[in-house]
Amino acid sequence: MAGTSEMIDLKSTPHSLVENFNLMKGLLATYGPDELQVLREKAFRNFTEFGIPTTKDEEFKYLSLRALEDGRFAPAYGATIDRFELEQSVLGPIDAINVVFINGEYAPELSSAHALPKGVFIGSLKDGFTVYEEVILEHLGKIANLTGKLGSTNDERFVYLNTAYLTDGAFVYLPKGVSLEQPIHLIYLSKADHGPLVSYPRTLIVLGENSDAKLLESYLGMDGVYFTNAVTEVVMGESAILEHTKFQQEKLESVHIAATSIHQSEDSIYTNNNINFGGHIARNDVNVWLDGEHTETWLNGASVGLGHQAIDNHTRIDHAKPNCNSFEVYKAILGDHALGVFNGKIFVYEDAQKTDAKQTNKAILLSPTATINTKPQLEIFADDVKCTHGATIGQLREDSMFYLQSRGIPKDEARGLLVYAFAAEVLEKVTIASAREVLENALFAKLKESQDMPEKGGE
Amino acid sequence: MLEIKNLHARVEDKEILRGINLTVNPGEVHAIMGPNGSGKSTLASVISGKSGYEVTEGSVELNGVDLLELAPEERAAAGVFLAFQYPVEIPGVTNTYFLRAALNNVRKHRGEAELSMTEFMKHIKSKVQMMDMDSSLLSRSVNEGFSGGEKKRNEIFQMAVLEPSLAILDETDSGLDIDALKVVSNGVNALRSPDRSVVVVTHYQRLLNYIVPDYVHVLMEGRIVKSGGKELALALEDKGYAFVEEELAAKA
Repeated sequence: MAGTSEMIDLKSTPHSLVENFNLMKGLLATYGPDELQVLREKAFRNFTEFGIPTTKDEEFKYLSLRALEDGRFAPAYGATIDRFELEQSVLGPIDAINVVFINGEYAPELSSAHALPKGVFIGSLKDGFTVYEEVILEHLGKIANLTGKLGSTNDERFVYLNTAYLTDGAFVYLPKGVSLEQPIHLIYLSKADHGPLVSYPRTLIVLGENSDAKLLESYLGMDGVYFTNAVTEVVMGESAILEHTKFQQEKLESVHIAATSIHQSEDSIYTNNNINFGGHIARNDVNVWLDGEHTETWLNGASVGLGHQAIDNHTRIDHAKPNCNSFEVYKAILGDHALGVFNGKIFVYEDAQKTDAKQTNKAILLSPTATINTKPQLEIFADDVKCTHGATIGQLREDSMFYLQSRGIPKDEARGLLVYAFAAEVLEKVTIASAREVLENALFAKLKESQDMPEKGGE
Repeated sequence: MLEIKNLHARVEDKEILRGINLTVNPGEVHAIMGPNGSGKSTLASVISGKSGYEVTEGSVELNGVDLLELAPEERAAAGVFLAFQYPVEIPGVTNTYFLRAALNNVRKHRGEAELSMTEFMKHIKSKVQMMDMDSSLLSRSVNEGFSGGEKKRNEIFQMAVLEPSLAILDETDSGLDIDALKVVSNGVNALRSPDRSVVVVTHYQRLLNYIVPDYVHVLMEGRIVKSGGKELALALEDKGYAFVEEELAAKA
């Protein structure tokens, strides 16, 4: 933990994120087995000790969290969202196994019941405990954990915060050999129509040996000012395959801070598509721990920030075993006064010979007042490895512009099309067709909000 | 009708076109041949409006419209089409979306109604067949991962869809095997019509076996130094550009 002296001191100053805990302690303790309460208490102590990070902390160097300082966030309360409202949202009706949460609380009336293959569980964590308590306790809190891993500035404060308040969330379990045809859609909705609130979505995904799934995890804001502090843990058994897309479209007044941690066993293939269009402040940490040989990891990112949005993506891949490949492409489109941050860490451990890691980060700035801070960070302790990284920040290619214009497409429209295409190239990695369409429409609508963007036209 | 008069153009300080005069009537196919560096591709670029070239003298008119005053997209709307020597790959934009945006912009400019997706698909169906295109190419990103032949075929397909009054083919034969060359040529020939002018820019005579020109011009050091019928192309193939150089030297 770095810079603890620079924190916002939570021990002497009253703060809702702390006070809520004391208020809710009794209620929290009634949720789940006793082991959870031990986890919560420990996490709460860690959080209050280290406090809310500031820009003096290395891992939050470019991201001001002043929006959290006022600390007027009430514990999440119930809200009503009906199916019609959900289907009118940007998500529309995606054909999937839906598990829906409103302000962190499971909403069975919006979730869909499906006949699932034997042993498969897709639902709320609470219901999960009744069937798979051992599996859950084996992994919960163990994956989103950097203890004993490389890195001198590891910062897990927002994982502590989420764990301190851990109540409901989503649980997905696929036993050995199950290949799920239908995609899974976890939907976290926020509606703060009675004042600012904070919710702590928690997701645990456990894929058994040789299982295969596609999963979309959406965070969608319906109303108000709120803070979403999410943690998602993914366990990949041997030879398991997961396409995991996270779509973040929070309200533009909200704060979204999320960590996604993945453990990959031998021969597993994991793809993470991290799509961020929303939030006043959006921060993602994607941490992949490669714990077996011959794994494959694909991290793709597409962010669009406009107005005064700040979108900060931190990724880390721990190549702890030999013969693993990782490929990473993160793209950002930033306009107006938006801020983008990319920090990509690749740790290659001493034993991880024959590691092949490629990292690319590209950004397009639509206005002179938009900013991107990009920092590839490769720390290599093995000698027989291939690691490359590249970062480009720039304008659109002139030859592409001329090509489009020479076919009759006006300059502004050509520019809009190329900006769209820049991010759409990442969305193409999503192979759930209906989800990709939703994402493309959301991207199109998002770009239309920019003052620097012409109408795309042609529709 | 394309009318080029005394056209001079340069790139930075280097004068590349040094007084081009050329008239192409509707329905005619003109071939512009010449050695490397003679200015062939520059001429194609200047007509279509690529940036980086400065026109210092002369004029280029298409059907009475001064092209040099127009942005590239306005030239396209006025009826200019350039088949690129190196078609550009545009990941993230599907061929269908791109073509429909292009066609609707050109139509809008001509005062015609835009086409709905259904009307558009109907419009392009026969052209897909004509160019013997794998229809899966339509839903792929523009030129991305296309082979050399597929890219050139896609250029002529776009030309078929946009129905220009002036088509300029810039080294369309480069990098094509004989089968692809035939398909591309058949496409161009099918688009020959009494109200369309075609300018074929090429280094080699080979393409002209398939797209038979009405006139052949030899471009050297930025000027048209010799013009003739299709037999001129055969003479060039036979004797190389040296014979034109010798003729010029003899005259001088």
